[in-house]
Amino acid sequence: MSKRILPLALPLVVALAVLVLVPALLQASGSGYLFRVSITAMIFAILAASLNFITGVAGLLSLGHAAFYGIGAYAAALLATQHGVPFLLTIPLAGVAAAIGGVLVALPTMRLVSIYFAVATLGMGEIIHGTLLNWVDFTRGPMGIPAIPSFKVFGLDLSGNLGSYLVVAVVMLASLWVLHRLTHSYYGNALRALREDDQCADSMGIDVVRLKGEVFAIACFFAGVAGALWAHTTGYISPNDFRFGESILVLAMIVVGGLGSLPGAVIGAVLLIVLPEALRPVGDVRMIVVGCVMFFSILLLPKGLFGEVSALNLVRSSFGGGWKAGTARQSIGWR
Amino acid sequence: MTLSKTIRGVLAGVAAGAAVSMAALPALAQKTIALGYQAPLTGEMSQYGEVFRNSATLAVEQFNKSGKLPGATVVLKFEDSKNDAKEGVNIAKKFVDDPEIVGVLGDFSSTVSMAAAQVYAQAGLPQLSQTASHPDYVKISEWQFRNITTQAYEGPFVAKWALGEGKKKIAVIAIQNDWGQSVVSNFKDAVEKGGGQVTSVEFYNPGNRDFRTILTKVAREKPDAIYLGMFDEDGASLLQQRRQLNVQIPTYATSSLYSPKLIALAGPSSDGLKLSTTFAADSPEPVVKAYVDEYQSRYKAIPTMFAAQAYDATNIMLAAIAKVGPTVDRKTLRDALAQTAGFPGVTGETTFDPQTREPTKQLARMEIKGGQFALVK
Repeated sequence: MSKRILPLALPLVVALAVLVLVPALLQASGSGYLFRVSITAMIFAILAASLNFITGVAGLLSLGHAAFYGIGAYAAALLATQHGVPFLLTIPLAGVAAAIGGVLVALPTMRLVSIYFAVATLGMGEIIHGTLLNWVDFTRGPMGIPAIPSFKVFGLDLSGNLGSYLVVAVVMLASLWVLHRLTHSYYGNALRALREDDQCADSMGIDVVRLKGEVFAIACFFAGVAGALWAHTTGYISPNDFRFGESILVLAMIVVGGLGSLPGAVIGAVLLIVLPEALRPVGDVRMIVVGCVMFFSILLLPKGLFGEVSALNLVRSSFGGGWKAGTARQSIGWR
Repeated sequence: MTLSKTIRGVLAGVAAGAAVSMAALPALAQKTIALGYQAPLTGEMSQYGEVFRNSATLAVEQFNKSGKLPGATVVLKFEDSKNDAKEGVNIAKKFVDDPEIVGVLGDFSSTVSMAAAQVYAQAGLPQLSQTASHPDYVKISEWQFRNITTQAYEGPFVAKWALGEGKKKIAVIAIQNDWGQSVVSNFKDAVEKGGGQVTSVEFYNPGNRDFRTILTKVAREKPDAIYLGMFDEDGASLLQQRRQLNVQIPTYATSSLYSPKLIALAGPSSDGLKLSTTFAADSPEPVVKAYVDEYQSRYKAIPTMFAAQAYDATNIMLAAIAKVGPTVDRKTLRDALAQTAGFPGVTGETTFDPQTREPTKQLARMEIKGGQFALVK
């Protein structure tokens, strides 16, 4: 009995910290600024975790992730402002829209590997950004979409600091849980096999094409969810929010945190969102300091702040993963 | 014994000193009124944030010296937004949290200004942007103001000028952003109302520097004139390529091209360009001359139109604070801002419409002659 409860102790601690401890501290501080920084950090945690699923776990270097984030944000914004769809529906629908976009990108690029795939996604990102910018009749182009409603459901107003925080926190925890179950499982093993050598994986009977399509669909779904959260919490979006620079920022998050490591992606996201804010007192050189932190963290910890091996060990020991002691047949793999 | 006496003596001395300084405090007490300024101080748009900071610092120092607000000192709190909406919203929350801040200046681009505006609208903090040109910006709430010539005013001004010079068929080239959209729609309406015709409208994506295809296409339609809605670097590339292609169609432009950098980059190819402007650094008017001299002696550069807009925006804010007095708060400052009328700034007399909060300004006509901007009388 205790063995079944104990593995879930750490997830419970994390959930309690995110849902109770942190909001209580933020509420006590009475600072809307700290709430906002936390919300942005959580949105980027989803985004980084989703890119980590493509680039870290499946090994497909994507340079166009901001585009799917943008599709999600625009889907949510257009549905909410033009059709009055409540946020409980816009968030999953934004994910679906971005997932469809992801599959459409993945299909023609199936046969590309390494740098060729990266450049193809770069091009796709630019195409999608260009579409958001120039399809004026549909997206309002550079005018952006103003007056996106905040979180309101069944007469309950969640648009305040605490309400918005809790909505984003719940969505983030759910997204991370799904990505955790997919990453730390036999399915995740197949993706890692794909990353190490896709021809070898193919010869072992893994359907490489199907997996690549699925990976893109799943990761882009969560990027779209992050976009919907951004649209609802900010109230105004324009194509400028989804430029190439955002893709690179998210990529930097997962590399600094540790490629292939889900906790690393979250740590990287929190670091690269909170650090520039924490460094505001140092003035104009703050972005240089952020650059130095990134440079030295890569130089000294090339596997990231929380590398993949440490992440897998942590998950196996404390997140109900595998390595259960028992008969020989059970001694390896995932729960 | 002696030691404890010494300690006691020291303590007594400290206490007495503290008491004296406490007593002296109220006499020296200067209430601090803070203005937040959010602008891109780093990143690819930092050249704009830099001149905003220069101008605003200058304006506030002059104001504090002038004694227009006895009993209070105005301070500026700058935050760097990197022209990034994420950071812009964070800063907005930070400014709202700060009880000292009664008003906010900025941000630079419409995207960041509008994302931050959602926060200011909700919290009730007046925001005055020196550059946000998006038509919906002031419609967000009663807390948004701007100090910029809107295209609703500038488009008809240039259209009338061109039509008056006999240019009936005009082609338009503009940047694909919210501002470029409003440049085109306002100018087109005015030209068509004045009996002219817009032969074609060409948008280019931000970052594009190759205008040869657009120029060739436009020139083939043989318009009487070309109207440009773009910024200095793009404008310089276009004018150079226009010269290389030997397109000799007279060219008009918005006030955004009024920048010494345009002539520096485009060289002789900029000659003959006609543009409207609210600010002319070589204007003989005493307010403008005083500002340009002071700015130049301090920052070793001639202020651009953007610098002048920030200077005026800061001064409009300060004038509104002075009107209310040292007891100013966010609500009274907003009401005073809404009453701004006939403000004698360096970018011309400025009046805010009390209902729509849209500014109106006087415009001047300029032409580049021999590598110099010259006022057209």
